[in-house]
Amino acid sequence: SVPSADLLGIPPEDESYYKALSTSGAMKCKDGSKKFTKSQLNDDFCDCPDGTDEPGTSACPDGKFYCRNAGHAPLFMFSSRVNDGICDCCDGSDEYDGQVKCSNTCWEAGKVARDRLKKKIATFQEGVTLRKQEIEQAKLAIAKDEVELSKLKNEEKVLKGLVEQLKEHKEKIEKAEEKERLQKEKEEKEKKEAEEAQRKKSKDVEEVSSQGKPLESTNDDHIGLLEDSPSDKDVVEHSLDPVHELEYAERSGKDEPPINEVQEDSAKKEEDSSVAHDSGSDTNIEEKDASENTEALSKEELGRLVASRWTRDNTGQQTGEVDDGKDDRHEISEEAPDDAHDEEYEGYESESEDDSQKYNEDDEEEDHVEDFEEEKHDDFSSPYRSVSDDELDVSDITTSSSSSWLEKIQQTVRNILQAVNLFQTPVDVSEAARVRKEYDESSSKLSKIQSRISSLTKKLNQDFGPEKEFYSFYSKCFEIKQNKYVYKICPFKQASQEEGHSTTRLGNWDKFEDAYKAMLFSSGDKCWNGPDRSLKVRLRCGLKNEATDVDEPSRCEYVALLSTPVLCVEEKLKELQDKLDLMNKQQPQSHDEL
Amino acid sequence: WKRDEFRNCNQTPFCKRARSRKPGFSSLIATHVSISDGDLIAKLIPRNEKDPVVNPLILTLSAYQDGVLRLKIDEDPSLDPPKKRFEVPDVIVPEFLNKKLWLQRLSEEVIGGDSGPSSVVYLSEGFEAVLRHDPFEVYVREKEGGKRVVSFNSHGLFDFEQLRVKKEGEDWEERFRSHTDTRPYGPQSISFDVSFYGADFVYGIPERATSLALKPTKGPGVEESEPYRLFNLDVFEYLHDSPFGLYGSIPFMISHGKTRGTSGFFWLNAAEMQIDVLGSGWDAEESIGLPSDRNRIDTLWMSEAGVVDAFFFVGPGPKDVVRQYTSVTGTQALPQFFATAYHQCRWNYRDEEDVAQVDLKFDEHDIPYDVLWLDIEHTDGKRYFTWDRVLFPTPEEMQKKLAAKGRHMVTIVDPHIKRDESFHLHKEATEKGYYVKEASGKDYEGWCWPGSSSYPDMLNPEIRSWWTDKFSYENYVGSTPSLYIWNDMNEPSVFNGPEVTMPRDALHYGGVEHREVHNAYGYYFHMATADGLVKRGNGKDRPFVLSRAVFPGSQRHGAIWTGDNTAEWEHLRVSVPMILTLGLSGVAFSGADVGGFFGNPEPELLVRWYQLGAYYPFFRAHAHQDTKRREPWLFGERNTELIREAIHVRYMLLPYFYTLFREANTSGVPVMRPLWMEFPADEATFSNDEAFMVGSSLLVQGIFTERAKHASVYLPSGQSWYYLSSGTTYKGGTTHKIQVSEDSIPAFQRAGTIMPRKDRFRRSSTQMANDPYTLVIALNSTQEAEGELYADDGKSFEFAQGAYLHRHFVFSDGKLTSSNVAPYASGKSQFSSGCNIERIVLLGYSGRPKSALIEPANHKADIEMGPLYLRTGSSPTVLTIRKPNVRIEDDWTIRVM
Repeated sequence: SVPSADLLGIPPEDESYYKALSTSGAMKCKDGSKKFTKSQLNDDFCDCPDGTDEPGTSACPDGKFYCRNAGHAPLFMFSSRVNDGICDCCDGSDEYDGQVKCSNTCWEAGKVARDRLKKKIATFQEGVTLRKQEIEQAKLAIAKDEVELSKLKNEEKVLKGLVEQLKEHKEKIEKAEEKERLQKEKEEKEKKEAEEAQRKKSKDVEEVSSQGKPLESTNDDHIGLLEDSPSDKDVVEHSLDPVHELEYAERSGKDEPPINEVQEDSAKKEEDSSVAHDSGSDTNIEEKDASENTEALSKEELGRLVASRWTRDNTGQQTGEVDDGKDDRHEISEEAPDDAHDEEYEGYESESEDDSQKYNEDDEEEDHVEDFEEEKHDDFSSPYRSVSDDELDVSDITTSSSSSWLEKIQQTVRNILQAVNLFQTPVDVSEAARVRKEYDESSSKLSKIQSRISSLTKKLNQDFGPEKEFYSFYSKCFEIKQNKYVYKICPFKQASQEEGHSTTRLGNWDKFEDAYKAMLFSSGDKCWNGPDRSLKVRLRCGLKNEATDVDEPSRCEYVALLSTPVLCVEEKLKELQDKLDLMNKQQPQSHDEL
Repeated sequence: WKRDEFRNCNQTPFCKRARSRKPGFSSLIATHVSISDGDLIAKLIPRNEKDPVVNPLILTLSAYQDGVLRLKIDEDPSLDPPKKRFEVPDVIVPEFLNKKLWLQRLSEEVIGGDSGPSSVVYLSEGFEAVLRHDPFEVYVREKEGGKRVVSFNSHGLFDFEQLRVKKEGEDWEERFRSHTDTRPYGPQSISFDVSFYGADFVYGIPERATSLALKPTKGPGVEESEPYRLFNLDVFEYLHDSPFGLYGSIPFMISHGKTRGTSGFFWLNAAEMQIDVLGSGWDAEESIGLPSDRNRIDTLWMSEAGVVDAFFFVGPGPKDVVRQYTSVTGTQALPQFFATAYHQCRWNYRDEEDVAQVDLKFDEHDIPYDVLWLDIEHTDGKRYFTWDRVLFPTPEEMQKKLAAKGRHMVTIVDPHIKRDESFHLHKEATEKGYYVKEASGKDYEGWCWPGSSSYPDMLNPEIRSWWTDKFSYENYVGSTPSLYIWNDMNEPSVFNGPEVTMPRDALHYGGVEHREVHNAYGYYFHMATADGLVKRGNGKDRPFVLSRAVFPGSQRHGAIWTGDNTAEWEHLRVSVPMILTLGLSGVAFSGADVGGFFGNPEPELLVRWYQLGAYYPFFRAHAHQDTKRREPWLFGERNTELIREAIHVRYMLLPYFYTLFREANTSGVPVMRPLWMEFPADEATFSNDEAFMVGSSLLVQGIFTERAKHASVYLPSGQSWYYLSSGTTYKGGTTHKIQVSEDSIPAFQRAGTIMPRKDRFRRSSTQMANDPYTLVIALNSTQEAEGELYADDGKSFEFAQGAYLHRHFVFSDGKLTSSNVAPYASGKSQFSSGCNIERIVLLGYSGRPKSALIEPANHKADIEMGPLYLRTGSSPTVLTIRKPNVRIEDDWTIRVM
């Protein structure tokens, strides 16, 4: 039913408020500024600047008009929509001055809306359960991580002791050997005339004992630029121990590619000496230089150059079609940072790494290394790369057998230490080798454990949300394809845009925003003539973890949509259910009435 | 700004030559003076036979109604010059030629201490034109007392390089950077001096970013300065204070002084021009016997080619001069009503979804806007008249959705046409030979957005006519009646051309060299586009075309904006003198990109820009593609509120603005005016370019600094002023230190005026058509005020047939009277409005009336205290006549009791 003129635009909860007018004669505007009478209610003249007296007309700019919209959801509208010739309320109640005739579409629209709402509620209902599971799992996983951490800390303590003991022994042995050597030299000096063969033999022995070192020092020369090479790099040894194996694989993939590649690399490095983030701006400088010298340019080059001032086209590289300016700009903008990226962010999915991995360690499952600086053992093999680092590392250090592993190592060390007679001269060569080997192995294990501790600590320090509901995101990456680009979003780590082999960093993990309804990645690769790239991922309730949309509304500022059960919160579900109840309640008794 | 890429005067031979000449250089004298065909004609020949042999020049003086003197000097066609020098066609409006006075006789007079005679002819009531024979000089003088107004060649700097045949071994080529100008016709420049008498300042000659009052460029105390340059160029990141010319050229200068008033001088010439404003004492060494006048301002005008076709305007008031100037070049076309509202632009709204989102957000935030713009990226590879069908698959639907809310769309159409065989426009233009040619005769190819491009020769009327057809709905696929056009890059901008434009030796229709027509190229393009839209609408729909290039007469074809400015406070500041200067030069419908095109404005700058931009005649926000998004709601709730309020102020004042546009349309008087145009006797206003008038009722002071707490505002003398947002009164004739808040910039209603408003905010101006009016009466010291309201259908040309209403409101003796300014001519179309007046606000009324009697209806309306603005929290502080409910189109009186 259409409300009477008196009640036009008034919500049911206010009806009694306005009814008071009939008895009191005049009442105050809600903001207290003035009084108005019954005849001034909805008389199309604004007496109350806040709109109290004109709920049903457009007279007050700050007013609100209430549409009942029976059959659909009621709606508050800006009073500027009243009688403006455009049907806004589905019941048509906002247009009553005869300019236009609005048909009542509330039943149809309402049905659509209710169906949509029902669907949404269904999603939320299921999602809420998934979310609970997610939180439970997170709790367990975090507890597990915490247990592991404390266990690792214990192991670290024990192992540290052992390593120190071994080191002490090793040094003592080395001292003894040194002493022996000096003694030998002295003897040799005395036996100056002895045969060469004799001398040769003793040299062989020495060489065998220090096998890995020459190789390592060679590599050192080549990778001189990498200042952050781990301090335990002298543990390069061919061994069947899985830990070492892995370590080797990783290192050979990362720091020590085959020699020929290293050389290539270093040559490249020299070329762009200060390869870095800002190589994009380097390009700009060159660009500028070029522009000062436009006389040398061809007509076409000059045209492109001048055009590039307004666009972010990098003319130097733009030799192809200019037809599609939009795409061209993308291409161009990405090329400069790519080189920088490969150079600087080694360990993050650079190609050479993947390749060398494949060739060297075909049979290893764990070798798909995604090294985000400290996380060395993430396995991202599923489409969403949801397997956590736990499973990998478990086999390494913290399997159920690991306790016996520690005992075993303790036992071994004990045995060695007992067996080695430090005061025996000459030093027993095989025993000395055993000590060394055990020391190397143990200290390698120690550093392994320490790195695991630091990565676990870092992980546990992350903000996973008030209920730790985002815990599982830590080891997930989400991908979405759009046109020729693949966008990768790795929460707590970074986000990137890939096209073929080139990768552009859209940002590093920054934080959650909007009360955990969005994730922010910032300080990505710099945009030519623009800001650093950034990505905001808006989260919404869905049954699957899935990136559904990505967009660049503003130059180099990306926005993505991600649906996840984590966002299916109970309160929101209640809200939706209430809304549906309300809609159902306001349905007319029968469709025919309309 | 890449200084090196542009020529300075020293690198421009004609400018260098002209600038180095000494006063008295010219040795020409006028002979054979006679009246012929209503004109005064004479020959100019060297004084001494020893002087180098040159052909006599033909001089013609013509008088036109309302005090306009026209001076033409050209080579004598009967002496067979190598080529006809270029005269700019289609700029002077045909009606002007009908205003010619047929001179009957001349009188000879020996003036002052002259040895020879001068010829004197009638010009207008009170003014005469004088041709002094030896040395040759032309000036306008007051009949009474013989005081000079404007004079020509008083310093003997006149020079006219006649066309001649190239001599053996002569090198006419000019090189600049990697470009060579073949100059097949050799030197052909013209230069002369013009003096303005009783002038405190000179103004005009847009377009450049500099002060309103033109500073001297040469003379004692002037440091090394370039002359003011008039050469249409696409200047990347232009500076906020430079004599360098930008996208447009209007060689029209206005002088104004306290004693004499206002006069003007216009040189119709489309070649590169350079103008020096000579500082007083510049000619101290060579004393030419000019009548002593402390306030004379001398100027030097230099052009590369063309003829002398100059106009002298006698004034004597500022509005007289712009009326006289626009009687020659035409007045501002009356825009469609929607075009006077707020425009939302960005390079680029990317796709249909983006467009829908932006549109939706305006509604969600209850911010009105009327037009959404699409920049170059909406096209298929910068082929204008096409759509990128991936991003814009359903352009008609998109436009219809906007149109359903009364909103419009503008797409860009630039003059560079992609050289792509599969592009029908290019194919057709090539086949028909419609492109500008290079000196060798083949189609000129330049580089612009689409890559290799060519440029239709818009000088040719046939090509313009061809172009107009491209805007039909059949030809422009995807266009609908709510779509209008934006012409950018029409200087023309050529990325790989000399000075980022077309080579001067490129060839146009009729063998005209580009050097001769350069400054008018964009004008013809603008004209053809506007004509296209008229044709599209069967002559029933007023066109809207925004152009970047500007030339005398551009006002007849649409709006102009000041090009690629920057998001800096100084660019906000300079937007005021730039728009004022365009307005003085006939271009009433202009604006600057709100927010600044390049760069990212701080929210405070953006808000201040909206607050100022709301008073620009053309109010559009625009941004470069590399900038952050800056739609009004992106800077937090408070800033959204502030921007919404700024836009609301504009919508509220739309009836007032539209009335002013009609005034510009009929009289040439600009919408946005320098203070001195309204207060010509108040010297304190002469160089003020931080404040301006909108019409005659509203004074606006920009805020151009961060975190401003106060502003010094000079309020001109005579009347008092009412602060627009509070109604508080301020005394005139003094500088006030006014407290400034973030809410608004200072604006004042002048006492004695009545402003019409519409206080209901809709989604767009379209829905305001039937809304009731509010009148704000600001009474002066004698309790009087007056104002006007013009209204029509806002769309069609019916107004030209009388279909409009034009009311005059007068308040005096406690009575408001509404009367018809222009009674409808019978038999022609009529416009009827159902709008009422819902509220009348009385500012400065002494007394406390309780009611008002409305006649002839003979009913009463209450008078009570109400708010000045209907905003939550505003208190009832002003006398308000409540619901007089008189019809706007009727005659009535309202007596306050």
